[in-house]
Amino acid sequence: MNINRLSCINIIRNPFNTTLSLLLMAFGIGIISLLLLLNKSVEEKLYGNLNGIDMVIGAKGSPLQLILSSIYHIDNPTGNILLEDVNKIKTDPMIESTIPLSLGDSYKGFRIIGTTHAYPQLFQVNLQSGKLWDKSMQVVVGSNVVEACQLKIGSTFYSSHGLLEGGEVHDQHAFKVVGILDESNSIIDQLILTSSESISKVHDHENHSDHNHEDHSDHNHEDHSNHNHEDHSDHNHEDHSNHNHEGVKEDCSHGHSEMITAMLVKFRSPVGFIKFPRKVNETTNLQAAVPTFEINRLISLLGLGLRSINMIAFFIIIVSGLSIFISLYNSLKRRRYELALMRVHGGTRFQLVKLVLQEGILISILGLFLGILFSRLILYIVSFFLYHNYSFYSIQLSLIKEELWLFPIALFVGFLASLIPIIQAYRINIPKTLSNV
Amino acid sequence: MLKTEALSFSYDNTNIFNFPDILLQKGEDLLILGDSGVGKTTLIQILSGLLRPQSGIVELNGTRFENLSSKSLDQFRGSHIGMVFQRSHFVRNLSILDNLLLFLYLSNKLHDKQRAIDLLEEIGLSDKMNSMPDELSQGEQQRAAIANALIKTPDLILADEPTSSLDDNNCQKIITLLKQQASLTNAKLIIITHDQRLKDQFNTSILL
Repeated sequence: MNINRLSCINIIRNPFNTTLSLLLMAFGIGIISLLLLLNKSVEEKLYGNLNGIDMVIGAKGSPLQLILSSIYHIDNPTGNILLEDVNKIKTDPMIESTIPLSLGDSYKGFRIIGTTHAYPQLFQVNLQSGKLWDKSMQVVVGSNVVEACQLKIGSTFYSSHGLLEGGEVHDQHAFKVVGILDESNSIIDQLILTSSESISKVHDHENHSDHNHEDHSDHNHEDHSNHNHEDHSDHNHEDHSNHNHEGVKEDCSHGHSEMITAMLVKFRSPVGFIKFPRKVNETTNLQAAVPTFEINRLISLLGLGLRSINMIAFFIIIVSGLSIFISLYNSLKRRRYELALMRVHGGTRFQLVKLVLQEGILISILGLFLGILFSRLILYIVSFFLYHNYSFYSIQLSLIKEELWLFPIALFVGFLASLIPIIQAYRINIPKTLSNV
Repeated sequence: MLKTEALSFSYDNTNIFNFPDILLQKGEDLLILGDSGVGKTTLIQILSGLLRPQSGIVELNGTRFENLSSKSLDQFRGSHIGMVFQRSHFVRNLSILDNLLLFLYLSNKLHDKQRAIDLLEEIGLSDKMNSMPDELSQGEQQRAAIANALIKTPDLILADEPTSSLDDNNCQKIITLLKQQASLTNAKLIIITHDQRLKDQFNTSILL
């Protein structure tokens, strides 16, 4: 038996007070830890998915919406823009490279992006198997999509219109999986990539005069299957289909001017940031948005909410400190004779102080760990439910740097709560306590 | 040897207690009788070093209390003096056995569980060693409190009204136990009480 064991026993033998103090401390710490984790995870994902994209060009509207839809794929696009308008800008010497994006279709809630091979290169993601698309209607799928939709190389599927599940199904043209991407822990894991032509092809069907198109499609389809059955030659078949598709595309672009949804832009030098977006916004009917500006704005807006929740959490921690204080104070009042008795039997002042301080600190440290555990648990549950819609939640089990601050805070609260009881224990008047029973 | 000389103490400078000198050799016992208000508790606190006298000296086994700092005096008391009070008190969250082990630890003596078990056996509480203090009867509590005082094999046992709240039967048992344990360990025993039942049990007594 020693002082350390006695502190633990005292805590265990006082279950109601201990539980209350522990819960309050765990609650306050848990909320702050959760906020820190979410904040870090969101910031990481927001900045991590930028991949050096300096500017996004799209239809007029909210710049934040444009960024969210074209970089993070979480909001609806602002609209479509004419490829020829974009092409005029593209040749500007300030621009180093561009990547077109065509949005509008999805499969089981995963977005299908019409783009060029430069897009997966942007994420520096490798193919896990298969190859990149080289003909229209071929797709390369991200790792999460493969898992969720049970796709493999050679699988075919029909896209549905719109970016949410349950849109009208485009059952004229089947997409075929030709490649699967490695997991990259970025937004590309949630995407289905194809050529821009595939998207316009699927949509031109809808928009064209019914008669002309259905004919064409039927014809195409029959041809396709016939050929496949008779020849059993893959090479031949692909050639054939390619030819046919090209034909479709030609057909379509004659009627319409081609549209894309957005274009990602990389500048040659930082000077582009200053001049170019303004030039686009003022002189064309396009909108240019700079992701870093918009994300900084978004984070500062979020930060406002985070700060007020943080304040509430700190308030809870203070209340928990108060609860630790009251429980120590009360138990000490009942145990005054006990402390005097320990002194009589040779206990030093320091040992009594240690006893009381340990009880306070132990509760706050236990509460701290409980709170950190609690935040992980919540995050785990949240990520479990939201995994499909947003890729923003990867579970962080290790401590993050910002959370280290919680240790001195919890220790300080424990110490502060024990302070008055400690002074009482230190100054206990043994003769008086012993004779006043 | 316990020796006191010309001890006096006063709480408010008007009522001054003057105590008779005490000289006690190894293995001797002493009964100090007195009515309420004559300074019995004050004397026992001075003898244990809990209170410093206003004048006079206390010396136990050659150590003068006045020469010790209050921390050293605490430690000295912890290892040399066992105290028994009118009402028995315990660390309430610990079992009878753990109370003994805690007090043994606080007196800076080696952890010795077997000695604690043996002591409870001698005192007749071996079946209660895992009970909590609240679960014991008053007589049993007082016996356990004596065990608390004896666990560190003190040189001096100070008992403050150890029998006042006990019936005749338990009173006799407690006194026998105290005397028996004191002679077993060759300790000096001082009992301070107003309990007249004890008068005939001791050869030496002082009236305050």
